[in-house]
Amino acid sequence: MIRTENLCKRYNRVEAVRDLNLDVRAGTVFGFVGENGAGKTTTMSILSTLAQPTSGRAYVGGAEVTTDPAQVRRQIGYMPDVFGVYDGLSVTEYLHFYGTVYGVSSPVIARRTAELLAMVRLGDKADAYVSALSRGMQQRLGVARCLMHDPPVLILDEPASGLDPRSRIEMREIIKGLRERGKTVLISSHILPELADMCDEIGIIAHGQLVACAAVEVVAARVNGQRQLSFELLARGRELGQVLRRDPGVSDVITAEETAVDVLYGASEEDQVRLLRDLLGAGYPIKAVHEVGASLEDLFLRLTEETPARQSDGRPA
Amino acid sequence: MGAARGGPLGRWMGHWIGHWTFRNPLLRKELRQRMRSGRTVLGLSLYLVIIGAVAFIFMYLNVQGQTLLLQPTRTAELFTFLSYLQLALISFVTPGVAAGVISGERERQTLPVLLTTPLAPASVIFTKWVTSISFLSLLIIMTLPLYSIVFLFGGVAPSQVLAVFLLQFMTLGAIAGVSIFWSTYVQRTGWSTVLSYATVALLFIGAAVTGYLLDGVAARNPDEGAWAWIGGICYAINPIYMQAALEASRGFFTPAFHNSLVESIFQTVQTHNLTGPGSWTLFVSLYIGGSVILLILCTWRLRPGSIATARRRLLRWMAR
Repeated sequence: MIRTENLCKRYNRVEAVRDLNLDVRAGTVFGFVGENGAGKTTTMSILSTLAQPTSGRAYVGGAEVTTDPAQVRRQIGYMPDVFGVYDGLSVTEYLHFYGTVYGVSSPVIARRTAELLAMVRLGDKADAYVSALSRGMQQRLGVARCLMHDPPVLILDEPASGLDPRSRIEMREIIKGLRERGKTVLISSHILPELADMCDEIGIIAHGQLVACAAVEVVAARVNGQRQLSFELLARGRELGQVLRRDPGVSDVITAEETAVDVLYGASEEDQVRLLRDLLGAGYPIKAVHEVGASLEDLFLRLTEETPARQSDGRPA
Repeated sequence: MGAARGGPLGRWMGHWIGHWTFRNPLLRKELRQRMRSGRTVLGLSLYLVIIGAVAFIFMYLNVQGQTLLLQPTRTAELFTFLSYLQLALISFVTPGVAAGVISGERERQTLPVLLTTPLAPASVIFTKWVTSISFLSLLIIMTLPLYSIVFLFGGVAPSQVLAVFLLQFMTLGAIAGVSIFWSTYVQRTGWSTVLSYATVALLFIGAAVTGYLLDGVAARNPDEGAWAWIGGICYAINPIYMQAALEASRGFFTPAFHNSLVESIFQTVQTHNLTGPGSWTLFVSLYIGGSVILLILCTWRLRPGSIATARRRLLRWMAR
């Protein structure tokens, strides 16, 4: 439903997006994760026909964003990370305006307005002025606005940014509802655990490049490929740290205290069992070993640290 | 007539006009937003009160309570005074209203959402232009009953009032076009407003001063007619002089005008023959053509990709 092929966007000498290849299937909620300036908003702007790519192609519902922007616009509901509302319009008038812009008939607009306001829990605010709504309410209204013409694709740029915890939970529930409606959703966020809860797939973008893209479970499994082992000992922790440093399965010794050692371990579970047996056989007074599963944030931080920023000529920035 | 209305051309015209006007959702929204506020009602009322008071005081001073004393020449003077007051209002208020229509949308962060809808950039710009001039147009139209006072005492014909109104609408449209141009090309409303006022000042004051200076140069070099000709162009693009030309061509310039500034304006009109078709062709072309060109440039700027897309489509079509 959403596809990009070697998508590039360059602003002067800085490459905001570099050879981005994305494939979001219909009915998927795709989480787009990245630091500020990673290229999320630029990618979303290109997909929303607000910006032109420097090279490469992007398709939404089979329509190419540069050659058939009108068709793309009909298929998307776009909510930017920061958006304003019109003063002097009520909630109903606001939705009616966007409905008429998309050529939706008045009876359908009336029906959809009631439905959508109920969905975003703003049914009691139908006659309130949009400018008088709280930030969270305006964000929810923004989602309702995106759905007014019933588009198959929704592009939501950080819909939960700046919201209080309650509003975030409400927004998460709304997005889960979108999945049930069969919408294809491209959503960006910094709140990774929430994305993991909402999304079917996630893509991690760093310095304009997609550094990981897979189902949430697969990404989590990839994280677990590099797991953290925490050893608790009675003594000889520092000596154990030296020994572990020489083990081929240990990629890094994080801490090595007298009674606690933390290492990053990437070998198989069989190798892990063998290592523990050897250590106990060598007489190390190990009380317990814990395996700490890395979170999505760990993966995110690791991958984004690994990818250097580049300029348009390919040199590191 | 009936056949034309029912024919394909009539239907197409009806559809086209409807699409750009009463079926245009953005226009309806903009007018609703602009016209429903208390500020609009207050502004309209205040303007009518001020113009009405000015007209009343002017007449009272002239007749001292005895309306029979009012001469048609005085009526023409009143009409000229009111029309210049209105022109001043247009030049002051229009940039303030129109200079923020696009930059304001950008600052309020409502523009990106608007541009991802099927609304064409041309439609957005046209609608913003219409809504910018709607308030001022309403102000001008609302003063019509006041102008009708001048008909009561003779001296001014309805067609003359209409001609001045047409010129003012043209000026209003052009100033709105310039303001929207700056609003589209400049990111901040503050700068856009400054540049809009600067352009208006250039058109109203700059052109007059340049014309005056060139007249001085022409007087010292009577053999070189080019100076006077360029000076004439400076006056011909100035609504103040063209309104005077309109009023002079209708015989409004009478001995009743004792004000030296007004007299000098009317004098310049006669010296440079601004009532002639050449000046009017230049004025109308510049104000209508210039507005259209500026609005097209705004459309380009609003969605830069649209031009590239159109070019690609054209090339593909030509290749076919």
